[in-house]
Amino acid sequence: MSTDTSFENDFATEFEDDEDGVQMLPATSERKPEHYPVDISTKAFWNLTSEEREETFKILRKEQPVSWQRPVDDAVNPDPDDPGYWAVVKHADIVKVSRDNETFVSGQGVLFDLLPPIFLELTQSFLAMDNPKHDMLRKLVSSAFTPKQIKLIDDKIKLAAKEIVDSFASDPSGEVEFVAACSEKLPTRIFSDIMGIPEEFREQTAKSAADIVAWADPEILGDRLADEVQVEAATILHDIAEQLIELKRREPGDDLLTSLIAAEVDGRKLDEFEIGSFFVLMAVAGTDTTKHTTSLTMRAFTHFPEQKKWLMEDYDARIGNAIEEFIRYASPVMTFRRTAVKETELGGHPIIPGDKVVMFYPSGCMDSDVFENPEKFDLARPNAREHVGFGGGGVHFCLGNQLAKSMLRAIFKELLFRIPEFEAGEPELLGTNFMRGVKRMPLRFTPEKVS
Amino acid sequence: MGLRIELDPGKCSGLGLCEAEAPELFEVQEDGSLTVLDDHPSADRRAECEAAVASCPTEALRLVED
Repeated sequence: MSTDTSFENDFATEFEDDEDGVQMLPATSERKPEHYPVDISTKAFWNLTSEEREETFKILRKEQPVSWQRPVDDAVNPDPDDPGYWAVVKHADIVKVSRDNETFVSGQGVLFDLLPPIFLELTQSFLAMDNPKHDMLRKLVSSAFTPKQIKLIDDKIKLAAKEIVDSFASDPSGEVEFVAACSEKLPTRIFSDIMGIPEEFREQTAKSAADIVAWADPEILGDRLADEVQVEAATILHDIAEQLIELKRREPGDDLLTSLIAAEVDGRKLDEFEIGSFFVLMAVAGTDTTKHTTSLTMRAFTHFPEQKKWLMEDYDARIGNAIEEFIRYASPVMTFRRTAVKETELGGHPIIPGDKVVMFYPSGCMDSDVFENPEKFDLARPNAREHVGFGGGGVHFCLGNQLAKSMLRAIFKELLFRIPEFEAGEPELLGTNFMRGVKRMPLRFTPEKVS
Repeated sequence: MGLRIELDPGKCSGLGLCEAEAPELFEVQEDGSLTVLDDHPSADRRAECEAAVASCPTEALRLVED
């Protein structure tokens, strides 16, 4: 493992000294029912496709909207004392948990899998913080993601989308591996522009960001252990951040890293480690999600060609709502966890401090109490925007939602009008319980005529 | 009788979903705080106001009738 040990030591010291260190509440099996027989913690369950998992979620939504489950199989960092978690699968409950940030906190961890503390510290930044600290940190970056700011870079996004589609649209073979040729390109390029990442660091940044979320995928792991791959990838990103910080100190730019270096919270500047964690969080959040939504949406258009036709009839007027449906239907982030710090009740069960509560977003996006005929990819769906693909609301709602929408709008305009005849083949899915990821997907299309 | 927009700055997280709905009424500032550009919008703006209020993920906005 290439982790720099002196770095780990620094980390350990910092951890002990951390004054606002969160006191971890132990989870307990007190007042818990038997683990529910419909088990969503098996490795096999998370190796299914989303459509197959939905069959199980459908049963849970009907029978036991909040179910007590045993700990997830094959955790990266198993905890023998972990009694399990509450699985929240209904739209209304996901919204309730997401919005009640006083009862359901993020500071005790937000990932479904159990991961090594060093990894969490390296990667999560404000994702795993509560207020007031969360808002203080997030506000440092939020100004880069407001509607006005996104409009300013909209032309850049459109140009990037055009150039990406240029690179394969007229290819006479009429066949590409779509993820590498298209879906991963736009978010990586735009994230790098916003952050101010020079060309020579971009590929490694994107690769390491992808490794981080792929921790349970056998192909990506090879013969390495999941925590090894994760910590290595996170460390590489921290190293890149460190080099970039040095670079930006010498030559400040009009980018997010430069403003993070200058930013002050509570009268002090962020240290390199904090900026590094920001960088890792944003590298993952800013690249992977939109990439997978792009691939999954091409697949959806293949299954629902009439929707493609409908959208193209009046693209500019219809794309806004259509994008909400893209996200509802793809629902790329599958799970996030909260921890209860107050007694409450959920789905008729008493919830006590220390209880882990896991939200299953794809299930919320398929809830027929909210979405009529949810299996249909319906771009005119009147309430598509009620999806929980950006989270169910609350302080952790997706910061990059406007950016994601702008990128999807630009890339689909190019794809639909330049290669309208296409067929996306079977996607090869990432084997994790976190991201509904597409590793590869063949796309066959009628090539664009070169004028 | 008129419309009034109430902002709870303690709840606002500065994401600007309201601004995306109604750019003439809301503006997120450089420091991440939200400014309500017109807190007494005219009645013909009701739909825009309602959409903005509904879009807020942290329930920081309220539309009241004075």
